Amino acid sequence: MTDINIKKVSYLAKLKLNDEKATKYEKSLSEIINWVDNLKKLDTEGTKPLHNITEKNTNLREDTVKKNNSTEEILSNAPEKAQNFFRVPKVVE
Amino acid sequence: MLSIRELKKKLSEKKISVSELFDEFYKKAKDSQLNSFNYLIDPEKNKHLINESQLRYNNKKEELLDGIPLGIKDLFCTKGIPTTASSKILENFIPQYESFVTASLLNDGAIFLGKNNCDEFAMGSSNETSFFGPVINPWKDSNKTNENLVPGGSSGGSASAVAEGICVASIGTDTGGSIRQPASLCGVVGLKPTFGSCSRWGVVAFASSLDQAGPITNSVEDAAFILNSISGYDKNDSTSSDHKRDNYLENIDKKFDNKITVGIPSDYLKDVNSDIAEQIDLAKKHLAKLNINVIDVEFTTTEYALSTYYILAPAEASSNLARYDGIRYGYRAQGETLDDIYINTRTEGFGEEVTRRILIGTYVLSAGYYDAYYRKAQKVRRLIKEDFQRIYRDVDFILTPTAPNEAFKVGEKLDPITMYMNDIFTVPTSLAGLPAISIPSGLSKNNLPLGIQLIGNYFQEQSLIQLASLLEKELKFND
Repeated sequence: MTDINIKKVSYLAKLKLNDEKATKYEKSLSEIINWVDNLKKLDTEGTKPLHNITEKNTNLREDTVKKNNSTEEILSNAPEKAQNFFRVPKVVE
Repeated sequence: MLSIRELKKKLSEKKISVSELFDEFYKKAKDSQLNSFNYLIDPEKNKHLINESQLRYNNKKEELLDGIPLGIKDLFCTKGIPTTASSKILENFIPQYESFVTASLLNDGAIFLGKNNCDEFAMGSSNETSFFGPVINPWKDSNKTNENLVPGGSSGGSASAVAEGICVASIGTDTGGSIRQPASLCGVVGLKPTFGSCSRWGVVAFASSLDQAGPITNSVEDAAFILNSISGYDKNDSTSSDHKRDNYLENIDKKFDNKITVGIPSDYLKDVNSDIAEQIDLAKKHLAKLNINVIDVEFTTTEYALSTYYILAPAEASSNLARYDGIRYGYRAQGETLDDIYINTRTEGFGEEVTRRILIGTYVLSAGYYDAYYRKAQKVRRLIKEDFQRIYRDVDFILTPTAPNEAFKVGEKLDPITMYMNDIFTVPTSLAGLPAISIPSGLSKNNLPLGIQLIGNYFQEQSLIQLASLLEKELKFND
């Protein structure tokens, strides 16, 4: 059995679930988590986690300033903008 | 269907013009009823590319893919052309830059017809999670010809469009099988290169340690043409590999000089149906004819692969999809506070399956569960990789079925876990980062296409393509 607090999980993911959806997803998540629980059978004592398949150090590049985008281009997809800014509701009192 | 090589020959011999070829495919794509394109590019917008391509043919200076009409999965950012990831949240998004992969194709003279439908954010195995509706497979069950079948997913639009013949080839992405499984269900070729071969720059991110671009084509040779274009080091992708790329067309018609060995994992075949078992038997026979050694091998980690994948991929997705907040681009829902905007935007913008994956990912990464699930899965991932390395001490390639079943009915598989099982044979390879190709091998009892998967060792795409091509000629699926 799992102990999924679906309201807490959805809060962390910034998703809102009404009661009907919360029940549905809680059931679905429980089933999936129970299904993946077979990993517990495997002994991984002493095994290092694998983050990146090549395990080479991440390639780093020089952080050089280049002009790739104009303000206009960057703002072209903004749902709401004002002058040269993204527009959002007031966030300070 | 004419191959890329044949089309280029016709173009260079002036039997057809670039513009005539493009119009022919554009018309077919426009008339198609299978919903395999989210967006078709206005031919006017392509005119200068068509003219430039024609000029290069006139001057006998044509490039690798000059004048070839392609479909592009709607997951690649294409400058000035809508890129939606088949999601409401990106419905109106128009990228201001070109992905590395599509830039490489354009640079080689390819012309894009439009953007192929796919599962929302590439999360699905049937193309039914798309905000723009399901894609239909051009194949029909011979006993139920009125039923619409899924093309597989997530690159379902790409596979359906290539199978229907409305684009010469398409570029898909594969995270846990999203190129190979739809290729198998649609009777076409799908190649997932080694992780790190094709840059992820400009590909809408799903699970960054697994995502890889690759071709969906009518033939192995066409796949080699495309791979020659899109494989390359890119400093903008921190996981891009800087190994020297081979010419993947070079050995395509040659037999192997030395004796090679193909391993068939017996644990993969334990529960397969008779249609699938038949494909492996058939492939075995042809390999023997080609004087290729076939041996049985056995993995010890197969039963853990799907569980590992369904922890790691959603975890990475929940992190990657945190960027969709309704502020800088994409859909925005109204809200009184900034937080309301975030929450309403994401709640309204993501579909059911994407929401589920974000929730799974958030759960396995949350305090108290991280070690038990996420970290545990990363450890098992290492065991899976080592399991492959152990098998590769004895074999050069591995042969498996691509998918456990033929194409199924739209709306048939409603339970998520049943759907996830579709990737049972493709997910292990993805977790190990190995290259793999699905080629059509034969038909099921219902006259639906089935595929086999050949898996190579790291960066051995050249010999993998060589083997796939030899087998393709023996199997004669397209004849």
